Parts: sequence; structure tokens; C-alpha cells
Amino acid sequence: MRWWRHREREQDLEREIRSDLELEAQEQEAKGLSPQEAHYAARRAFGNVTWVKEEVRVMWGWTLWEIIFRELRYAARTLRKSPGFAATAFLTLAMGIGASTAVFTVVDSVLLKPLAFHESGRLVACWESVRFLGDDATGPNPRHVEVWRQRATAFSGLTYLQNAAMGLTLGAEHPRLTSAVVTIPNLFEILQVHALQGRTFIPEDGVQGHDNVAVLTYPLWQDLFHGDPGAVGATIRLGDVSRQVVGVLPANFHFPSGSALRSFRRADQSVNVAPDPAIFIPAALDITKFPWNGNYGNWITLGRLNPGVTLAQASAQLNTIQAQILGDPSWPADRRAGALGAWVQPMQEAIVGGSRTALWLLMASVLSLMLIACLNLANAQLGRALTRSRESAVRAALGAAKWRLIWSVLAENLLLAALGGAAGILLAKTALDLFMRDTPVGLPRLSEIHLNLNVLLFSTLLTFGASLVSALLPALRLLATDPQASLQQSSSRSFGSRQGNRLRRWLIGMQVAGCTALLLVTGLFSKSLLHLLGEDKGFDTAEVAVAEVRLTPQSYGEDQSRVNFDDAVLANLRAIPGVEAAAMVSAMPLGGESWIEFVQRVDKPEQESPLINFRWVSPGYFETTRQRLVAGRFFEERDRNLSNVVLSEGEAKALWGNDDAINGQVKIEGRIFTVIGVVADSRNTSLKTPPARMAYVHYKDRPPFPTYFLARAPYASGLVSAMRQAIWKYDPEVTIARVKTLGAQLTDSLATERFETLVLLSFGAAALLLAMLGIYGVLSYSVVTRKQEIGVRMALGATRAKVYALTFAEAGVPVFAGVSVGLAGSVLAGRAVQTMLYGTRAVDPAVILMVTGLFLLSAVAAAFLPARRAASVEPMEALRSE
Amino acid sequence: MLILRTLLFGPAHGHQIAKHIQRTTDDLLQIEHGSLYPALHRLERKGWIAAKWEAAGKDLKREFKYYRLTTAGKKQLLAEESKWKRLTRAVARIMWPAEEG
Repeated sequence: MRWWRHREREQDLEREIRSDLELEAQEQEAKGLSPQEAHYAARRAFGNVTWVKEEVRVMWGWTLWEIIFRELRYAARTLRKSPGFAATAFLTLAMGIGASTAVFTVVDSVLLKPLAFHESGRLVACWESVRFLGDDATGPNPRHVEVWRQRATAFSGLTYLQNAAMGLTLGAEHPRLTSAVVTIPNLFEILQVHALQGRTFIPEDGVQGHDNVAVLTYPLWQDLFHGDPGAVGATIRLGDVSRQVVGVLPANFHFPSGSALRSFRRADQSVNVAPDPAIFIPAALDITKFPWNGNYGNWITLGRLNPGVTLAQASAQLNTIQAQILGDPSWPADRRAGALGAWVQPMQEAIVGGSRTALWLLMASVLSLMLIACLNLANAQLGRALTRSRESAVRAALGAAKWRLIWSVLAENLLLAALGGAAGILLAKTALDLFMRDTPVGLPRLSEIHLNLNVLLFSTLLTFGASLVSALLPALRLLATDPQASLQQSSSRSFGSRQGNRLRRWLIGMQVAGCTALLLVTGLFSKSLLHLLGEDKGFDTAEVAVAEVRLTPQSYGEDQSRVNFDDAVLANLRAIPGVEAAAMVSAMPLGGESWIEFVQRVDKPEQESPLINFRWVSPGYFETTRQRLVAGRFFEERDRNLSNVVLSEGEAKALWGNDDAINGQVKIEGRIFTVIGVVADSRNTSLKTPPARMAYVHYKDRPPFPTYFLARAPYASGLVSAMRQAIWKYDPEVTIARVKTLGAQLTDSLATERFETLVLLSFGAAALLLAMLGIYGVLSYSVVTRKQEIGVRMALGATRAKVYALTFAEAGVPVFAGVSVGLAGSVLAGRAVQTMLYGTRAVDPAVILMVTGLFLLSAVAAAFLPARRAASVEPMEALRSE
Repeated sequence: MLILRTLLFGPAHGHQIAKHIQRTTDDLLQIEHGSLYPALHRLERKGWIAAKWEAAGKDLKREFKYYRLTTAGKKQLLAEESKWKRLTRAVARIMWPAEEG
């Protein structure tokens, strides 16, 4: 029976009974009774009409749906009666569920969902461990991979690829920087991806002379050709090479960016976030040109395991082959066992490994926030249940079943949670859209993030969980209600049950514990971020703008042509009005490590020679970035044709100790350089790592392809277009990757940390607010119910100070207990996130002190209003009102 | 069971069923007509009887809700009957053991 047939059924019964009565009356009339008497007789014969109707209705029974519907209607009416509570609860739940849903969407899409490739569980990434590099997870040397491809049976295929950023031109516009993947042609075969239009790569694409082809991703196809199928066959210019588009990849194809594909074995790896690749081009390589022992870390190797092969088996097989390579006569270096190893990890792990801790941390904090919100709601409901205990007592006394009473509490929460859940999902959708539109966060698989069935399931579960948690305690209270006792208490004299208050204090304690833990983790992250921002960089980012130019081997293959380019652009830059200094460098400041090389003292060749970072710079570089000179001199124009080097202080100390390094000689790649200056250490690779050891060489020595021009002017942000013009004035065909201020680069390099901290801060603030509301709610309720008691105390001589103390003490126990539990919990949480913190320990006394202080202060603030109300009770008034 | 047995003779409406039971049991089972209806609705819900409004009476002017036995109802009646027979036999055996032998 459906509820809308309810009325129909009711009429039906009415009609049936009436006809029975009429028939009986007719019969009686036939026996000679008057119509009136016959009517009465019929009634007598029938019995109690109302009772019969009631019985029939019971017989029909309430279907589950009817019960829910009725209770929900009742709940809606009750909630309308207290709009303040309803609105607060609705908002709390909507925010809670919204935030949880948004975070879970990210966690689900990034961590949980398998990669969108056929049998993606068999896709792996392979890494080499190379002893002399001290690196156990470097991108393999392609020459080794070719040997693996010949000998390994564990894989159905192995490929290697490289990420690149290239200028892309269609027609006659300035080239725009595009993220590309250069791969040997079997990549798509291994991923088992077919083209949407045209074809993917065929083996001939890997032959020199036949490699001028490209495969576009779906977004780039849409962007460049607006989805025109005629794109296949079109010619584009990529990195100054004309290429024919041979295919377009399907829309659901997502390939990780180079910054995302890493082994994540080393926590300190700092890589600039790169966009996902938009275009794929084949690599036509002469593998014999690769050295046997070198070219590590430049290529990424992916493979597909044969069915049934485990990771361990594959790793073991690769290691066997590595040993064979070590034993090969062509191997030029260290032949000892273990000098060269290899291992295999799931491709998904290689992509998302770095974000796992951060995402789970976010998930944990958003769930604890949700729990706090639910506890708050439970607390508020409990308060309402207490004030409504007379109502429920009356209902119980009139014979309402206990489960019906519980049902009505549950229904109320269910209604709130359902509304809040729906609003929350909408909220999450909006938040994610905003987040995705402009995200500086280096999260892998970003393009794959969207709400899906898993997420909706999660939100629904969360919604029901929330309503259960928040209804459970009030419902239990109801069960314990003794109708008689609560009826006996006149409402004006209610002292509030001791038990009820104890329960609410427990809730407060739990809330405080969760909130403290969350705040402490937030505190750790904030401190870590402040630490990073406040770190002495060793150079000055203010008033400097940087332009990144990508020169191509096709147009600028000759060293001299690059030197000419650099010289001309530097002259143009210096001619811009307002520019105080201009320089160039071979790597983006704060852009991670780039060129690393060994350095030896010529006079002490036996000395350990650590790998150090190299920068090719122009004269004026140190002046533009305002790096401090420790000894010797900076580069000048006269260094152009000399083999001179400037070392960082740390490197000079490592090589010469306390001796004077100036005029000392070092050997780099077999060539001898003279040290002309020592500059102060600077964190110009990353703020997150200690200052790197650096060597600076004049740019004439090896003019870089990616070139970074720096210009210092009072209004650096106004320089952006002037710098573009200065570069394109010399050559309008070059690709300018980006122009921005160094301040912006600094901000971007900490984007992930800032994002994490921002999210945690907002969660922490919300949790604090909720906890304050909770404390306030419990105390004000308690003050209202204890008004007379307080009046009596004051009449008996209690001072206002005593009343304050009394109220504060009531909140004190749960708050202190909660804070200590929270502290203990945060120590565990702190350990888990230790690797994400910089200059901050998991147990940081300063943070603990500040958070505890902040929390206690907030608790006092929350308790103050109820306490003042308690203290302002007029004894006479309170007593009179009895 | 009594209602089901009554309906075995053909469809009937509430009033007829009540009268029939009253008559056949020689007014021994004096049931209030009203108490019949909850039972009828329960049987209908269980699917043992079906109901339909049909015109009847002298000039077919009035409609009555006629109840009719369903197949499931017939089966149920048989089951109930045999159960009842066994029960009465058992009771009889206890009450008048001699007669049984």
C-alpha cells in the first residue's frame, strides 16, 4: 500500500461499515422496530465503530515508508519550531559533509582509484640503484634498459621516456610552451591505449628521419583544433621542428607529468611542478651513443609485467641482468657486486607516492572535524532532549513505545543530515571546481579528479553515520528517562539530571581532545611554513623578475649563437628604463637541482669529491640577486674566455677547510678551473633543503639552452611585458616559457606547503569554533537549570567570584582532560607527518604551548558568558520564581 | 477459519458473513459484527481472500464489498481444518479417553 492510497483506503472502510450498519438497520426495521430504534440496534450489534476502525488500521499496519514519512514530517515540524537550532545544525553538517566529501574525492581519485589503463595493476616503473652516485632510485640509463628489453622475460614490454617542455607553434604566432613526452614508440602498446583519431606510434616512428610525427592529447586537440578530425595530418612546429600530427588520444587518457613520476624513495627530492603532458613525440635514438656508465636520472622506465609475475620476481630478474652488465667487458667502471642494481615498483605508487601522507593527513583531519561537528550536534540534541524531557515523559506515560520516541529523535537527525548532506555534496562540487580551475598544488592525477559513485556512496554513509552519532546519545538518554521522575519535577524547579550533565561533559572532553590534536598538527604545519618563509635564503627575491626562455638545438645549436642571443637580450634588458641590474643564469632559482657534477682539487685528487650543483651565470648575477661575497671577486666581463669558477662557501670549506680557496684550482669533467671568488651559501635550489653546494661558471663556457634572465627594478611586476619585448626584439621565434617575479616563484615553490597549511588552518579554526560553541552550550544550559541552586548559594553568602569559579570549574575538568588526551594524540600524528615538516619537530614545545594557550583562552572566553550570567543571578529573584 | 469456511460457499459481504456465522452456530458464537472487519482486512492483507465492490440487492442500486476466497485462501483453509481436527481429536482423547478405545 502506498501512502497516497491512504485516504482511499480510509473511505473504503467507512463505506463498508456504513453499508453493514444500514443492512442491519433494515433487517431490524423489517422486524418492526422504528427507524431510530433499528439504527441503535444496528449500532449495538456492530459494536464500537471507532474501535473497529482503529483495529483495522492496525491490521493494515504501517509500512516502513509510512513510518519514516510520518516521523520525518513530525521532525520537520519540530525543527521549524526551533529555526535557530535547525539552521546551526544544517550549516554544521553541510560544511562538515562538504569538506569531507571534497577531501575524499581527492583521496579517492588520486590514491584509491586504479590508473585508467587496461589492467593497470601490471604497469610498473623501474629504477636503478647506482652505488657511485649514492642514489638507489635513479631513472635508468637507456642503454641498460635496452639490455633489459632483450633479456628480461618478466615483462611483456619495457619503454623509456623523457619529459620535455617545448615551444609549440601552429601558424604564425609566438610559440607557447607545451609539456611533451619523448618516448620510444612502444609506450602506447605497453599502456594498451588506442588512438581516438588516427594512430599512435608504430616502430618506424623510432627511426631517425621518420620521427617527425606527434600524437596529441585530447585537451590539446580541443585547444588547437577545436576537435576537428582534420587535425590528423596537419603540421605543427614543436621545438623548432615541423611535425605531422598522426593521432589524437582518447579523452580519458591521463598521463602523469614528469614531476609526478618519481620513486619517492628520497623524501628531500624537490622538483618543480610540471603540467601534465599535452603531446607525445617519438624518440629516435642511437643507443650506442649512450655511455655505459652515465646518463642516469634523465629517463623514466615503465613496463608491463607478464601475467602472474610478481614485483619481487621482476626485480630479481633485473638484478641478475645488472650483474651481467657489470661482468661485461664493455663496462668501464666499478665491477664489484652491487655497484649496479635495479628494482621495480607499481606505476601507481610511483605517481602518487609523494602525496600519500599529505592526503591521508587531510582526510584524517577532515574526519576529525566531522566527528567534532557530530559531537557538537549530539550535545545540542542532548540539551534539547533534556528540555524536552517532560514532553517525552508525557508521551511515554501516555503509552508511546520507547522505540517510537527514539525514532523521532533519529528522524530529526536523519532529516538534518540528509539536508546537510545534499548541501554538502553541492558545496564539495563547487569547492572542487574552484580548486581544479586554478591549482598551484603539485598533486598528481589532478585531471582525473571528479565526483563519482564511490564518493557519493561515501557521502551517503557519512551522512547516515553523522545522524546516527548525533542521535545515539540523546536516544540513549531517552531510554533512561523515567517518566515518573521527570513528570514529578516541575519545570521551574528542574535541577538537570546529574547523569545528563556528566554525559555532556564527556562529549565536551572528546571534542576538546579532537580539536586540540587538530590544532596541534595545524600548529606544526604553520610553524614549518613560517620557518620556510623566514629562512635566510642567501639571496634577495624582492624587486626581481625572471624570464625563462627555451632555446632549441635546431635554431641555436651553435654555442656561439646562444652566446650572441644571451648578450643581445642582456643588453636589451639593461636598456629597459628603471632596470638597475640584469643577468642570466642556467637554472630557475628555487627550481630544484639541475646540473650536478663532481669537483676535485687539482692538488689533492684523492680527496672525496661530492656531487655539487652547477650554474652558468653572466656577470652581474650575484649583484642582481644580491648574494654576499665572502672572498675574492664576482664574475666580470674579462672572465668571458677564462676558465674561472666561483664556489659557494660550503663547497669552498669542504675542499679547502679553513684555507684560502682563492686562486686554488679544481678539476671538473677533466678540465681545470681557477677559483676566483667565494659567495655566501644560498638556498637557490629549494627552501626545503639545506643550502646546496654550488659552483658558478661563466655562461660563455657552456651557454645553456633553458636560459633564465633576471632583471632588478623597483617595480618588478611591471617588468613582465617589457622583458618579453626585450627578448622577442632579438628573436620573435623563441619560446618564452614564463615571466614572473622572483617573489611569485618563491610563493609557487611553497605552493603545496601553503595549501596544506591553509586547509589545516581552516579545519583547525572550524574545530575551535565548534568546541567553543560546545562548551558555551553546555555551560549556559547548566546555568539555566541551576539558577535556583545558584540563587540559594548566593543567598547563603557565596560571592560572585565563587559563582564564576563554580561555572568555570564545571567546564574545567573536561577541557583539561581533553587537552591532555589531544596532546597525546597529536604526538602520534606529529610522528606520522614528520617528513612533511621543515625545521619543526613532531613534539614542538613552542607549538604545544601556543596551541594549549590558545585553546584554554578560547575555552575561558566560551565559558565567560554563561559564568557572567550565573554570577548576575539575583538571589531574591531566583528564589521568588519558585 | 470460520470466515474462510463461510466464504467457501461463494462470495459474501461483511454483513452476510456475520449473519451466516451467527445462524450456523445457532447464535452460540455471538460476535459483534464490527469485530469481523479487522479479521477480514487481515485475511485480505495475507492474500487469502480478495475483495471487490459489487452491486447487489433488490434493484442493484447498492454496492457491497464482496469477499471471495483465493486459491491461497483455500489451501490455508485445508491446512487450518486439518490442524483443527487434530487439535479437537487430541482434546477429545484427553477428555473422554474411554470412548476412544
